[in-house]
Formats: sequence, C-alpha cells, structure tokens
Amino acid sequence: MSESKLKLLSNGLFKQNPAFIQVLGMCPTLATTTSAENGLGMGLATTAVLAMSNITISVVRKFIPDKIRIPSYIVIIASFVTMIDMLMHGFVYDLWKTLGLFIPLIVVNCIILGRAEAFASKNGVIDSLFDGLGMGLGFTGALVLLGSVREFLGNGSVFGVHLSEVKMFAMILPPGAFIALGMLAALFNYIGIRRSKTSKESK
Amino acid sequence: MTTRLVFIFLSAILVNNFVLSRFLGICPFLGVSKKVDTAVGMSIAVLFVMIMASIITWLLNILLVSLGLPFLTTIVFILIIATLVQFVEIVLKKTSPSLYEALGIFLPLITTNCAILGLALLNVQQNYSLLETIVNAAGAGLGFGLALILFSTIRERMDISDVPEPFKGTASALITAGLLSMAFMGFQGLVKL
Amino acid sequence: MREYLKTGITLMIITVIAALLLSVVYSIVREPIANAELGAKLKAIRDVLEDPSTRRPLVQDGKIPQTAVELATFEWSPEAIDFGEGKVYVSDDGRSKVESPAYKFVADDGRNIYIVIGSSVGYGGDVKTMAAFVVTESGPELNGIRVLEYSQETPGLGANIASIDIQNRFFPVATEGLNKGLKVNQDANVTPTGDEIALRREVDGIITVSDVMTGATITPRAVAFSINAMYQFLKKAGAN
Repeated sequence: MSESKLKLLSNGLFKQNPAFIQVLGMCPTLATTTSAENGLGMGLATTAVLAMSNITISVVRKFIPDKIRIPSYIVIIASFVTMIDMLMHGFVYDLWKTLGLFIPLIVVNCIILGRAEAFASKNGVIDSLFDGLGMGLGFTGALVLLGSVREFLGNGSVFGVHLSEVKMFAMILPPGAFIALGMLAALFNYIGIRRSKTSKESK
Repeated sequence: MTTRLVFIFLSAILVNNFVLSRFLGICPFLGVSKKVDTAVGMSIAVLFVMIMASIITWLLNILLVSLGLPFLTTIVFILIIATLVQFVEIVLKKTSPSLYEALGIFLPLITTNCAILGLALLNVQQNYSLLETIVNAAGAGLGFGLALILFSTIRERMDISDVPEPFKGTASALITAGLLSMAFMGFQGLVKL
Repeated sequence: MREYLKTGITLMIITVIAALLLSVVYSIVREPIANAELGAKLKAIRDVLEDPSTRRPLVQDGKIPQTAVELATFEWSPEAIDFGEGKVYVSDDGRSKVESPAYKFVADDGRNIYIVIGSSVGYGGDVKTMAAFVVTESGPELNGIRVLEYSQETPGLGANIASIDIQNRFFPVATEGLNKGLKVNQDANVTPTGDEIALRREVDGIITVSDVMTGATITPRAVAFSINAMYQFLKKAGAN
C-alpha cells in the first residue's frame, strides 16, 4: 500500500510538478517569491488547503450532482481558504500581512481546482490526501526554490541568512520574477531532455 | 475628484498593470497568448466580467459587512464570478460561436483568473466608492488586455523563429514577459499626485 | 424543472454548511485576530515613543498600555475640533487623512506626547503611518514614526519602506522643519550627504531617501505628506 502512496507523492514533487511542468498556479509563484520564507509560507498555506479540499471532495464526491460539481468544489475550496486566512491572521500575523491579498487568491489557484477535478473527484480519500500533499509539496518546493534564487540574487541572503554582497535589485522586482522563473523552467526542461536522451541511448 | 479617478484609471492600466506588476491573471496570460485573435477575444470577455463582477461584489460587500459576515467575502465573490462567467459563456455561444470555439477551455477558466477575484478584493480593501470601483475595473481590464495582446503579438513571431530546445514554450514566454514587465516599469512616476 | 431545483438546493445546502462551519471558526479565531492586531499596534506605539538619540523610551514601561482597555485610557479628545469615534480629519489638500483615535501620553519629564495615525495615497493604495510628536517650548517635534500599512506598494521598491533603517530617515524633526512641511529630497531637488542629512531634516524638513529608495519616490512622499497632515491636525486641534 505504501508503494503507491509514495508514487503519488513523488508524482506531485517531480514528474508532474504543478509549477514547473504543469505551469499552474503562476500568479502566487511569481508574486510571493520575493524571499524564500515568503515562498515557504505561501506554499504551506496552499498545501494545507489542497490537502483539506482533496479529502473533503473525495468524501462527498458521490453526493454531488455532476452539473454543479464545479461550483460545489469552489465553495468547498473557498471555505478552507477563508479558514486558513483567518487562522493565519490570528496566529502568524507578520506572514499574513506580507502575503496579503494572495491568501484569499489561493481559491483561484488552478492547482487546487485542477486536482479536485482530475483526482479527488475520482479517487478514494487516502489517495486523494496523498495526491494533495504531493502536489502541494511540489508546489511549495518550486516556490522555495524560486524564492531562494530571487532572494539570493536580489538581496544576497537565503531565509534571511546573509550570504553574499551581490545585490541584483531587479530580481526582487516583477521583471526579475518572470526571468528567474523562465530560467528555472528552461533548466527543468533541459534536465528532462537530457534524461530522456540518456534513457533512449541506453535502449 | 476627477484627478483621483484619472489616477486610478491610469494606474491600473500602465503604472500598476495587473499582469506585469501585480502578477494577477498570469495563467490566462501564458495560456491564451499564442494567437492575437484569441487574445483579443479573451480580453474583451475579461473586461466585461471584471466590470460586472466589480459592481456586483461591491454592492454585496456592503450587505455582508452590515450583516456582520465579512469572512464570507471570498466565498460570495468567487460564486458571483463563477456565475457571471457561466452567463458570458451562454451569451457567447449564441452570438459568436467561432470565438466560443476558439477560446475553448479558457472561457470557463476566466473564473479562476486571479485578476478578477483580486480586483474585487482590492476594490473592497481600498474602500473605493462605486464610481472608483468601476473606473478601477475598466482600467484593470484594459491593462490586462493591453498586456495580453502585446504579448500575443510577440509570441506569434517567436513561434516562427528558432528557439533553443530547453527554452521552447513556457521558458521563453516567461523571459519575454519579464522584458515586457521591465518596459512597463518605465511608466512609474507617470502619474504624479 | 425538477432537475434544476434539485441541483439548486444541493448547492445551497453545501453553501449553508460551509457558511456555518466558517462562522464557528470565525468565532474561535476572533480573539487571536484582535490580539494580533492590537499587538502590532502596541509594538508600534512602543517604537515611536523611543527617544531617537538615546534609544530609551520617553515613557517608563509601566505606563505603556498592554491591553486594549489600557490603550483606550490614553485616547485624546481634543477640545478645538470634533474628533470622535470613527471621525476622520482630512488635510487641506485633500490627499491625506488622520484617523481617530489619537493618543496622548505624558513623558517622564512631564512633556506631552501625541501619537497620531495618518495615511496618504501611495503607489497602489493608502500608506498608513503612526507618528509621535513631543511638545516642546517651540511647539510639537516629530519624535518617531512607524509605517503601519503599505501592502499595496511594489515589493522591492515602495515596499522597502518597511525597513526600519529607511523609516529612521524620517525623524527626528524639529518644529522649524515641521512648520516648513516635510518633503522628500527628490521633491526639494537637493541631495544632502553625511552630516547635512540630519541638519536639513531638522531645520528644513527635507527627508533624504533618494539613495536608498531609488525609483520609489511615491511611497516615501506619501509618508511625508501624512506626517504633514498629522502636524496640521495637531495644530488645529490645539495640542500643547
């Protein structure tokens, strides 16, 4: 049983990484990665919503008429987002303030609705949980990676730990976000191409 | 008063462009920008939904606050947007089937366009009056359309040129968007109070 | 018809359940939220009550409020103008606002200190600042500020106003500088360096930020304007 659960997790982390491969959830990816810490906070909040909504939707999937499934999913997802928003407001005030508008915007993160539609509505509860965790953690990983790159190049630090004196200001600004993500995407592609080339050659 | 409205309008289109500065609406920005015609069609649909949604959500927000239920904003707003998009889909299917076909899956995806929900939430957050909300929505929609159409013209050209393998597709699109964003940064300071 | 009714009712049931669940969570989280907001405000008050040259609080620790109830005892109701709950004072040029309540503290050395919260339009929205003014023989002096809200400013540019180092550029300012009206050095077309920075700030009200906030004039300008509005308010309200 744990074999397939691990597979679900790794699927979300690498093969079908929502940010780099599926190109979903771009808005928060670019907006909240001004530092590694912000990326981590955003990623974890999204993972929480993703896990909870996947579970809930999987539980009630047999009761929801097909015609209204999208609006129903939206209500369920929006409820969890509001809950996370309130909890963050009360318990991690500074992070809440920094992430600001993008917390309620988790609702329209295509990853969550996408997984609800593609997976949770068709699979059991435990599987949906692992799928949600895998995708969420994959997303978080992408955010932390991009956040670290931008923070390091733009501010010389990673997670607030001062590492270098190089400060390419533009990295923290919007253009830097696009370009950094573009470079990372190209890198991911390159690794994917090399991998398929070597596996072709060995055959 | 009018200066403030002009400020809000110009700010939403150029200075604080929703896509290139605020990072709202990136999914359709990357997804629908392969051809200019679809980009134009999408922009018009988004502009319409933005203005309608802003007005309705603004009114509903007053209701929610007076009922002491401010925490229901997200749910109510997104349901309104989803309904409006359904409505636009039906109208579009009847009036312009070709555009409906061309937009395909991206039409219902306007619901998940963070720009629309983001706009609705911003209007409320910044305590805009109804008129300011409408102006902001119009500016946001036009700004979105501007970024989208500009981007699609560049992408149409890029598709024909010789791009290195790892950069094909998303990567080059993102880097181009970065350059476009840099260009738009030149508008900062345009509107001096 | 029956189909529509069934789907409509199902959707309504889901929404109602969601709303009920949220109400429960809301009632639980309400207090932590209020505490978090209050905590942030109290910290800002503690920061602005610090003497910038000695780094020591002007008001002894026992007198700084720790709860909302204590804070309320420091609320100031000026006699000269109407500034009750929810009231807003708008500056003469209409760009800045001062929100109620304002607070009045008494320093250990007997001087009056007024803490005011004002805001002005920045890049993408209002920038809200808390400022402490100490009343001396020549009039109110700016002792310290804390920028409370700047969420709509551009990350990496205007949002750098969050940095305490940058906020420290705004104070202290003597009455002479306040009377001339604060402005950012870009607007005054000067670029003070070294010792000049402090001098021009105290005497001329020129805030030097161009070296640390390149290309982000709008946000610090908003902070300067809101301080001017707060000073205007204090004079009108008869602070002494």
